[in-house]
Parts: sequence; C-alpha cells; structure tokens
Amino acid sequence: MRRRSLPVAILKGFGVLVIAAWSILPIALIVMSSFKSDRDIFSLTSRFSFTPTLANYELLWSRWGDFFHGLWNSFLVTSGATVLAVAVSLLAGFAYSRHASRGLQASAFFLIFIRLIPPIVITLPLFPVVNWLGLNDTHFILIVLYATFFVSLGTIVMRTFIDQIPRELDEAAMIDGASQFQIIRRVIFPLAAQGMLAVSVFVIVYAWNEFLFAFIFTTTKAKTAPLVVAEMIGAVEGVEWGVLFAASAVQLLPVLAFVILMQKHLVAGLTAGAVKG
Amino acid sequence: MASRTPLSALALVSPVQLMVGGIIFLPAIYVFWLSLNQSSFGQAASFVGLANYAKVLGDPYFWRALINTVIVVAIVVHVELLLGLLMALFFASGVPCRALLLAIVLAPYAVSEVSAVVMWRYLFEPDVGMMSQALAWFGLPPIEWAVKPSHGLFMVSLLSIWLHLPFSFIIIYAARLSVPDELYEAGAIDGATGWTAFRRITLPLLMPALLIAALFRYIFAFRLFSEVWLMTGGGPARTTEVMAVYLYLEAFRYNSFGAAAATGWLLVLASLLLALFYLRSLYREMFRKHA
Repeated sequence: MRRRSLPVAILKGFGVLVIAAWSILPIALIVMSSFKSDRDIFSLTSRFSFTPTLANYELLWSRWGDFFHGLWNSFLVTSGATVLAVAVSLLAGFAYSRHASRGLQASAFFLIFIRLIPPIVITLPLFPVVNWLGLNDTHFILIVLYATFFVSLGTIVMRTFIDQIPRELDEAAMIDGASQFQIIRRVIFPLAAQGMLAVSVFVIVYAWNEFLFAFIFTTTKAKTAPLVVAEMIGAVEGVEWGVLFAASAVQLLPVLAFVILMQKHLVAGLTAGAVKG
Repeated sequence: MASRTPLSALALVSPVQLMVGGIIFLPAIYVFWLSLNQSSFGQAASFVGLANYAKVLGDPYFWRALINTVIVVAIVVHVELLLGLLMALFFASGVPCRALLLAIVLAPYAVSEVSAVVMWRYLFEPDVGMMSQALAWFGLPPIEWAVKPSHGLFMVSLLSIWLHLPFSFIIIYAARLSVPDELYEAGAIDGATGWTAFRRITLPLLMPALLIAALFRYIFAFRLFSEVWLMTGGGPARTTEVMAVYLYLEAFRYNSFGAAAATGWLLVLASLLLALFYLRSLYREMFRKHA
C-alpha cells in the first residue's frame, strides 16, 4: 500500500525536523545557554560553538540560595501532594469501579463538574481563611490544594484502570474473609500500579511547576522553585540571563527526564482521563 | 444494580468528596455570596445586591480583559487542534524514529509556565534573540511584546500553544490509532483515498476526540493566568490583561473583593456555559447506564 518515493521521504524528514525543532529547540537553547559566559549568550558567532563554563551555576549557588531552598520546598510539596492524591484516588476509584448506585453516580458526576471551577476563583474566599488558620506560607496548604485539584481526574483514571482488574479476584479474597481495605491493599494495589503511576505523573508535573497558588499562598518559608525563577525574571531584566538559564535548567530537567521516562503512563493516563471525562 | 450505596463505598469516596467539596465547591458557592456584598480585608461585609456586577460590567478594563481572553482562547485552542490533528495524521502515516519523536513532542508538557516564559523571551529578545534575528533576516518587523499589546498577546498565545500542544496531540493521536486499518482498506476499494478518505473516514471518527480536546482546552485556556502575568504582567497600561489577571488585580492589588468575586462568578458561569452540552450528554449517559 505504502509507496516510498524519494520526495515523500524528503518531505517526511522535513516534517520530523520541524516538529522536533518546535518542541525541543526552546528547551535545548536555554540548557545550552546556561553553560555560556555572558559574552556568548547573545553572540551570533558562538551560538552553537562556545567554551562551556559553570560560572552561571556557581553564581546561582552563591547568590541565589533562595532558589535551592525553593527546590527543596517544591520537592516536599510535590511528594506530599502526589502521595495524598494517589492514595485518595485509589480508594475512590475502587469504590466507583466496584459499586454502583444513584448516589454514587451523582457523586461521580459532581467530581467531573467540579473540574469546571477555575482555581483562581477559590483563592478569594480561601485567602482570608488560610491566613486566619495560620496556614499561609506552609507546605501543608500547597499539598492540600495541589492534591485537591487533581483528585477528580485521579479518581476517573484510577477507576478506568481498576475496571480492568477482574472482579473475580476481589470476590475470591472476600470469600477468604478479606475486608474492603484488605482487598484494596492486597489485590488492587499491586495490580493498579500502572494507574497509580499515571496519576502520579499528572500530579508531579502539576505540583512541581504550579505558579498561581504558590504565588498567592506562599511568601518565604514554603516558596517553591517556579516562584524564585519568576522573581529572577523580574530582577534581571535582560542583564543576568545566564543565572536565569541555570535556574530554569535546574528547575526543568528533573521533571523533563521523569516525563520522558514515564511517557507510556502519561499517554495512558491522558487518554483514560479525557475519554471518561 | 443496588440502588443503595453500601457504607464501605461511602467511606472510600468520602476523602475525595470532602476535599473537592470543602476546598473547591463550598468556596465557589461562597464566592457567589461575596459577589453580592461590599467587602475588603478586615472589613465587615454589607449586602449590595448586584452592584458589584454593575461595577464590573461598567469597567472598560473588564471588557478589555474579556475581549483579550476570548481572542487568546480562540487562537490558542483552534491552532492547537489544527496542529494536533496534522501531527496525529503525520505520526499515523508512519514516521522514522517514532518513539524518540513522541518523547520529543511530549517534552513541553514537562515545562513550567515560568521556564517557558524564560525560553520564549530569550528567543524573542529585541535585536539579539534568535527569532528576532530570523524575523529581521526575512525583512519582517520585530515582535515588540513589551510595547505593543497585540504583540504581547501574540507571545502569550504562542507560549500557550507550545505548552499545551502535547495534550491536544495525544488525545487526537490516541483516537486516530483506534481507527481500524480495515476501514481505510475498504474505503480504498471503493475509491476513497487521500482527501476523500480523510473527510469520510478519519474526520468523522476523530470528531468525538476533537470535541473533547476542544472542550478541555477551552475551559483550561479560559483560566489563563501565569503566562500573561509572567510575560506582560497585564501591561503596558493594563492592555493585555485577561480575565484571571483582572480578577487577581481587583482582589489583591485594588482590594476590591466584591468586584473580584463578581468576576470570579462570571468566570465560573462562562465555564459552565462552555461545558453545558458535554455535562448534559454525560449526565444522560451516566444515569441511563446505571439507573
């Protein structure tokens, strides 16, 4: 069926190049430029050939301690939000997969409906409450917010994955006298690993990169890495691009590597979540 | 099917329901109440009816923000769907190093808005940025995103498309992969190839996925905040604000919680309106199957 002629092959090669350049060039450029000296960053002659230097990273380390503190905060918040979101999504996904009633259906509909409410809207009432509770600028508030905004998608994804686990397995366990929680722990948990990975990819990428909530609810102690990078954009205004590139690269590369590694789960989760709602 | 909810199921869904109910739903309802009151920080609220809505709807900055949002959403979502569709068809037609290319295409999904702003500002830095020089080489005027509002919105759109194309692409590509090859073989026997095959086989079968991708992207693009905030800050002179930025400024800079709440509630209504058909069909499907 497929005729492979030379013009088609050339056209395809060109298409691949365009797609790859569009997707990766902006990322590659700032990672590369983070190893350039100030002199080389905007120089035409040293666009691709230059003497690499770690000066920007040294400067980042000595002058922007805040950034590394932010990275640590991002790490804590991301881990907390992921564990919380995956755990509660697993429980709810199991319930929606194995039980059916009008009430449950209504609550599943509610979960989908809730995704329509923009996050910025709820910052208005939450801001005074969070301050009053003394939760402002804590890891806790970000963990709860990030997890909450992903539990509805998480539940839908988990339900799709748990639907594929044969019911006979939990029935067999039930006959052996296992309780609901034991069934989840012993039967579902090991078999739903793929779904849990898919949910974690969403939450990790979101929590690691999120800006709005961190901007509104944190100031110093729990300030996350994207916030510090944003401050650097404001502070440098065309002068200290090098340090900014170094910070962006450090913020970006771990989660980029993670997404590439978890590609399969990301695709599976995206399709499961979108098709079902 | 049982019509009563077993207690254990109730216990299992309660953490999720309490989280979204307590942190998203109730506050959203409370925003409605806030929108009917005059209040700011440390000040008791007083009922003012629809005055906040009147104030917001009479504010030229609100209309500017609304128009900007609609323009950006329209550009971003439609360009994204078109590019996503083209890429999905391109991938489906067989590409060299498919797995590697797929990983490359997904890469922007991992990038934060903040880092994306750094990248695109670097590319379009006046005079010295790579894209600025490319534009100059073609004899085109530079993108003056910090000076001209339309250029600022262009940068914001470009940035959003770049960040979210992986999502639209994956949804469409997954749908394309589930179209069986036999359909094209049968179509080819009947003389449907190329454009006809696309119009009669591919497009109808991809329509549900395209609609879902469009719906999600409309809803999420409508809340656009970080890209604008970090790229232009809404400036120069409040000309590039979008709805979420307008809301943020009203609430946290101008201390006008009532107006911000009214804006917030309008945002919620707009999202609901966009999703109305989707919600209705979903509702019917869910309750037909299990009721």
